[in-house]
Order: sequence, then C-alpha cells, then structure tokens
Amino acid sequence: MILSAKLLFIILPLSIFYEFLKGRDSKLAKRRFAFIGISGSGLISLVTGIIIGLTYGAGVIIHSLRTSNVGKKEAFLILLFLSICHAIIEDTLIFVVIGANGFILIAFRFALAIILTYAIYRSKILKTPEGGDG
Amino acid sequence: MTGAAYSVIIYRHMQPDNYLAVLRRGFINGVSITFTMAKVIVPFYIVIEFIKKTGFIAVISDFFKPFMELIGLPGEAALGLMAGYFINLYAAIAVIAPLELSTKDITIAALILGISHSLPLETAVTKQTGVNAWLLMSVRVFFSLLSGVILNVIWKLFS
Repeated sequence: MILSAKLLFIILPLSIFYEFLKGRDSKLAKRRFAFIGISGSGLISLVTGIIIGLTYGAGVIIHSLRTSNVGKKEAFLILLFLSICHAIIEDTLIFVVIGANGFILIAFRFALAIILTYAIYRSKILKTPEGGDG
Repeated sequence: MTGAAYSVIIYRHMQPDNYLAVLRRGFINGVSITFTMAKVIVPFYIVIEFIKKTGFIAVISDFFKPFMELIGLPGEAALGLMAGYFINLYAAIAVIAPLELSTKDITIAALILGISHSLPLETAVTKQTGVNAWLLMSVRVFFSLLSGVILNVIWKLFS
C-alpha cells in the first residue's frame, strides 16, 4: 500500500509532465533518433525511459505506446534501446556515490544501445510487415 | 506510416493546449497508470520478499563465483549482482558498498547492474507494452555480462 502511494506520487508529476511534453514536438530530436528507426511518436517513450527508467517510467511508456500509433517493430526497437540504456540519471548517481566513474557508465551504455538498436533496425530480423518480433 | 498521416499527428500536437485541461488529463492518466502498475508490482513484491527469506539468492551467488573472475570482480560481488538482478539496485548497493571495491570494480558492477536490474519487475512491466519481454530480458542479461567483460578488458588495457 505504501509502495503504491509512493508510486502514485512519482507517476502523477510524470504523467502531467508527459501531457505537457506531448504538446511540444522537437523536430531536431526526431531527426536525431530516426536513423535507429525511432520516429516522433515513439520519442516520448524513449526519452522518458532514458531519463526516468523502466520501473517508474513504465506507466508513461505503456500509455504512450498504447495510445500513439507506434508500430510493433518500432515499439520493440524502443524497448531494446531502453533495455540497455535506461534510468541513466538515477542509476548512474547512486553508483557514483559509492565510487564509480559516471562518465564511463553513461558513455558505454549510450554507445552500446545505439549500436545494438541500429544493428537490429538494419538487419533483416524485423523486416516482416507487423514487426515479427514474435 | 505515410507522410500525410504523420503531418496530421504533428499538427495536432502543435495545437496550443489549455493548461488546465492538460493538467487534468495528466492527473487522470497518472491515477489509472498507478493502478495498472500496482497490479503488477504488488504480487512481485510479495514473491521477492519470499525469495529473500528462503536464502535462495545466496545459493545462486555461490554457483556463479567462478564466472566473476572473468568480469574482474571478487566472488562476493556476485551476491550484489544477484540482488540487483532479482530485487533492485538499492539491494545491490547495500551488498556492494561494504565490500570497498576499487573504482574499476565498482564501475564494472555499476555497468552490469545499470543494464540489467530488477528483472522480475521490469520484465512484467515490459510485457505490458506488448513486445517480447522474455527476449528483451535475455538480451539485457547477455549484454550486461558481455559489457562487464568488455569494460574489464578495456580498463586493463588503458591502465
């Protein structure tokens, strides 16, 4: 119960922030992620996941993927990217506190996520019309 | 998606919005999202509490000790990784922090755990988006360990 209340407190501002964010589309950001197969509609999920993470950002991600017309293939690419690179602020900070090198952490995860997503996007694995990520 | 359909969506999003309406929509969505999340999280939380009590995690960490040398971490760090995989990052920190590892070891552990953590919870959550959650979980575990090995090698080369 306490956990649910805590979640509500975290999700509420996020969800309100998401609605504001939806009103503003950044064309620049769109072009930046287009090369790995992620377009404008999926961008909110991607950015939310990268910054906030899957546990707390999941609500926003699920909602945004269900309501926008993001294809199955693109949804898979977004979640693949997020699998490697998510919650980079929280994750990095709590480990920097106990002595990790934060720059290496962020650089490595971003590089790996981009390489992996690009490779899957370009490969033949997801070329079937409905995504085929089965 | 065709270009025309796409521009319609962009146009719709660019409409000036009534802030109060936005606030209300965000609030309603937030409440409904929390209910969806709670339905997933609460059962898993109970299961995880049980696993913690049975000492199952300790058995697993013993089993993986030889592999830890490949990553360049001491055997006890396996428990931290396991705690991170099965419970969450805070549990992992609680295990790793008292070990007083070097910057290299902590960075490697952080990289592995950053990519792959809270797997029961996050896989359940990922499933809700409709993509293949099991495949993604395997990808995460595989690449987390692979990154650990790679960073271990790179770090040794540059020091």
